[in-house]
Amino acid sequence: MLALIYFIILAVLAVGSALCVLLSRHPLYGALSLVLSMLSLAGIYGLLGSPFIGVVQVMVYAGAIMMLLTFVIMVLNGARDSKTPMFDGVSLFVIPGVIVLAALVGFVLVSAPIAFDETTLRGSVALTSRTLFDVAQTGPGYFILFEVLGLLLLSSMAAAVLLAKKRLGSVDSENTEDK
Amino acid sequence: MELQAVYVQVLALVLFAIGLVVALGRRNVFFVLMGVELALNAVNLSFVGFAKTLPADMSVAGQIVPLFSIAIAAAEACVGLAMVILIFRNRESVDADTYSNMKG
Repeated sequence: MLALIYFIILAVLAVGSALCVLLSRHPLYGALSLVLSMLSLAGIYGLLGSPFIGVVQVMVYAGAIMMLLTFVIMVLNGARDSKTPMFDGVSLFVIPGVIVLAALVGFVLVSAPIAFDETTLRGSVALTSRTLFDVAQTGPGYFILFEVLGLLLLSSMAAAVLLAKKRLGSVDSENTEDK
Repeated sequence: MELQAVYVQVLALVLFAIGLVVALGRRNVFFVLMGVELALNAVNLSFVGFAKTLPADMSVAGQIVPLFSIAIAAAEACVGLAMVILIFRNRESVDADTYSNMKG
């Protein structure tokens, strides 16, 4: 019962802040609402019994990714382009389409017999690390994915630096742009 | 009244729908990126919710995959924001429709 009350509070927070993202005019308000939505999702992960994913959600999503997004919004000062309308004609077709899609999937979900299993494992740090770094030959092999993910993050960081480094604040930048 | 597994899935569906509307409907390119992040979050929630419906040794995979998904989302946000910086410097606009011209 208590879990349901906590879940309802966190779900209302998550959906409300997601609606704020949809309806806010300035990108910075949207980013801050998105942080609130991600924090309440982290609470739901903890409630469901995966506290490690919840902590990673707070650290990586609400911490790193949204910090990056907020930083870029503030650097570019995206609000000075205030002529851009919030929605356009395409949105008139997008919104009914998404509602129909959600209704179809929701019908399938509600009619599907899913229920919580009693014997499910709690996603603690010990279990996650034991599974993630299981290098036995019969193991699941997640450690290879983990190594590849390190390479992916490194290459995406290098790509981002190479993409964005040019002409940032230097004097001759304005001249080369006009050529 | 206890917490049912389908409530989690319905919440994930609602968040995914909102994220999809934000990503496809809004014109500001920052909101497009935020909508993608919101949809990814909803998919992670769905993963964890379904993992809790499985018996013991099968429920581990559903709690490992969201970690990889979060890391991929970090890489995606990094490259996406770098591209936004690059295009914004050339175009002086955050309207996603003005980005349709690929000429450098």
